[in-house]
Amino acid sequence: LQGSVQRKWDISKMLYLNNIEPADVIKRWKQEDIEEEEDESSTESNVGSDEEEDDDDFFKKKTDSIVESKEDKFIPDYPSIDELKEKWNEDTLKKLQSRFFVSAKKIINDND
Amino acid sequence: MSNRPKPLVFEGAKNFRLRLILSTLSGKPIKITKIRPDDQHVGIRDEEASFLRLLSRVTNGAHIQVGQTGTSVIYYPGIITGGERIHPCATTSSKPVGYYLEPLLYIAPFSKEKFSIKLQGITASKEDAGVEAIRLGLLPIMEKFGIRDPSLHILKRGSPPNGGGEVHFLVDSTALQPLTMHAIDIPKISAIRGVAYCTRVSPSIVNRMIDAARNVLRPIGVEVDITADVWRGENAGKSPGFGLTLVAESKKGWNFFAEDIGGAGEVPEDIGTKVAYELIEEISKAGVVGRSQLSLALVYMVLGKEDIGRLRINKEQIDEDLIYLLRDIKTIFGTEIYLKEVDDDDSGDFIATVKGTNFLNPNKKM
Repeated sequence: LQGSVQRKWDISKMLYLNNIEPADVIKRWKQEDIEEEEDESSTESNVGSDEEEDDDDFFKKKTDSIVESKEDKFIPDYPSIDELKEKWNEDTLKKLQSRFFVSAKKIINDND
Repeated sequence: MSNRPKPLVFEGAKNFRLRLILSTLSGKPIKITKIRPDDQHVGIRDEEASFLRLLSRVTNGAHIQVGQTGTSVIYYPGIITGGERIHPCATTSSKPVGYYLEPLLYIAPFSKEKFSIKLQGITASKEDAGVEAIRLGLLPIMEKFGIRDPSLHILKRGSPPNGGGEVHFLVDSTALQPLTMHAIDIPKISAIRGVAYCTRVSPSIVNRMIDAARNVLRPIGVEVDITADVWRGENAGKSPGFGLTLVAESKKGWNFFAEDIGGAGEVPEDIGTKVAYELIEEISKAGVVGRSQLSLALVYMVLGKEDIGRLRINKEQIDEDLIYLLRDIKTIFGTEIYLKEVDDDDSGDFIATVKGTNFLNPNKKM
């Protein structure tokens, strides 16, 4: 398993592999599947708390069906407003400015 | 009927509208099966049936066959005729006019006559494209691909749940094919603009949204110009409501947007703050285009002449929806879009490269 952590999937090669579901392509590319494998192996070693796990699986399945209902959604998913407030502080906004915004000198401030 | 080509088969309700649109553009028939077979409401939904009716309105010669249970649709596309049409959107569905209008952007420039359609219903929602998002966010994408002066006029605003709105979408001049795109530099944003609107509520609500959005955007230091748009009387639809659309504009004509409408228990300040933060988030996850603009840009690139088009995309834009889109494009048009990581900086961005299929509008004189 340690060796598998080193895998780096090439997204362009996986895009059109019809035998892999799009969700799995993304998981593999982001290497989430490896984390899941690790999680599974760690839970396998903790046999005994079956009831709790069953409940977890149940809610996981429910979540999947909710995701399915979001077919053709136009507006993308965003984190919650609290998460966004935390994420976009002074420092992170500065980083964003340098990549995406024109120099502040050229900018006319909006009239308050 | 027996001479007709065998339809390409798709499964599931995913990309329902886009698959029909790609079929219309390519002229290839499709069959969509297993549409929500295990759902409580089996088969196609009211809005999908309404969209099928809309497609038959703007095309000529289309043949649509919906299975008895509604879980399968066979679609033989016709010729895109356009013309002047009116489409009352399904009143039994909560889908706004944007749900119907967004797919029309793919086909409208390639119609026989000028494409002029009035859509009646709800003009904004929390999940589907609002009319401002289309007007300020998607029409500029069309223009970047050489479509001249597409316009969307809001004749009446209709907030959910009862709607009562009406919009007029017009593409006056038809195009032969989209321009080949070479956009590999991240556009720099020079201004943030927007529209804050309300229907059948106090006009002070729009100012509260604007102030809240400005407070969030102020530290960025760009010009912020948000228009207040208050609707009263007959043209304000049947329900009270308010909403905000913000657009980050670059001087090269690319832009990113975010929008939302007031829902149960939400005050105007919530919406102003939320949309402003979502715009910032959207900008951080954008390449040359935002997430909601990507599919339109990629389909236009596929329709372009037989030349290599390039579009820079953010790694955050590579998701399940994009893969579905790319696979559907490959199935229908037989062309693959390649993604290659940008190696001259550490952004982690990708360049989407596609060879156009040399689609030619059959209705346009050379």
